[in-house]
Amino acid sequence: MSGTFAFWATIVAVGALNYLSRLSFIALFARFPMPPAMARALRFVPAAMLTAIVVPAVVFRAPGVLDLSYANPKLVAAFVAMAVAWRTRSVTASMVSGMVALWGAQWALAALAA
Amino acid sequence: MTPPLIGILPFGVVCGVAAQGTGLTAVEAVGMAMIVFSGAAQIIAMQLIAAGAPIAVILLTCLVVGLRLTMYSAAMAPHLASLPPRWRNALAFVLTDQAFAAAIRRFRTATTAGEGASYFLGTGVVLWVAWLVSNLGGYLAGNVIPAAWSLDFVVPLCFIAVLVPALDDGPARVAALAAAVAVVVLDPLPMRLSLVCGGLIGIAAGVAAARARRPRDGANP
Repeated sequence: MSGTFAFWATIVAVGALNYLSRLSFIALFARFPMPPAMARALRFVPAAMLTAIVVPAVVFRAPGVLDLSYANPKLVAAFVAMAVAWRTRSVTASMVSGMVALWGAQWALAALAA
Repeated sequence: MTPPLIGILPFGVVCGVAAQGTGLTAVEAVGMAMIVFSGAAQIIAMQLIAAGAPIAVILLTCLVVGLRLTMYSAAMAPHLASLPPRWRNALAFVLTDQAFAAAIRRFRTATTAGEGASYFLGTGVVLWVAWLVSNLGGYLAGNVIPAAWSLDFVVPLCFIAVLVPALDDGPARVAALAAAVAVVVLDPLPMRLSLVCGGLIGIAAGVAAARARRPRDGANP
């Protein structure tokens, strides 16, 4: 789809949707306060959606191949990054330690296999 | 000004790396950053486009990810209510996580709505430019760094860094755990529907957990 009209149409539609979310209570529903039930549900959007994005990228070795063992370097690296994020709350520190852990785990597995 | 800039730059770089990894051109990567101006929405859109998902699924998934922006919109609305509509419409475009965090503090101390709005607009424009530059920087880095370094793993790592501090109470952890199990179990679903379904199941689980904790919530709003 890359480079075609369909690509740009999709991007403009995604951009418009994002803009409407930003505009929602500032302009479109400016006269209405946010319904309490909606506020209660929105609180969980980051925890639920970010998890849904992260988990498949970590636990699947290849599409459809689940690997929850310590021999999955991405899983090891994700746990290291979680621990560092929990202690430091630093995005940069979490990313750097996660990458170092990934390289370390990949190297250790290759060394064990050799 | 410095803290929001430091906050946005790693995300821009990560987003650029992801764009390079999914095979976009530099023009597409920067054009997307210009129009969408949201890391999570950009990364999801490019991954779903690469997976060949239909546009309805892409839009639905991006809508759910973008719902947090309605929270910022609602919190910002009273501060912008006295401004002309044209100003409000322009300011809404630069409403990002970082601009919100910086501007909401300023609005609380500002003596006039115009003072807060000028700061918000200035912060928003600087962040937008920084967003484009960091997206391009990440894209170019992705081009140069060898694939064996698995640089695209910075994408999930970046989301982990944002996610973990959000897991600060029981119901949020229930929401994350339910989303994790659901997204793995539903993985065989076509069109990457597992992503949006897993997210919605997580949100529902979080709401249920919060309700179970305070059963008389409805009686004492």
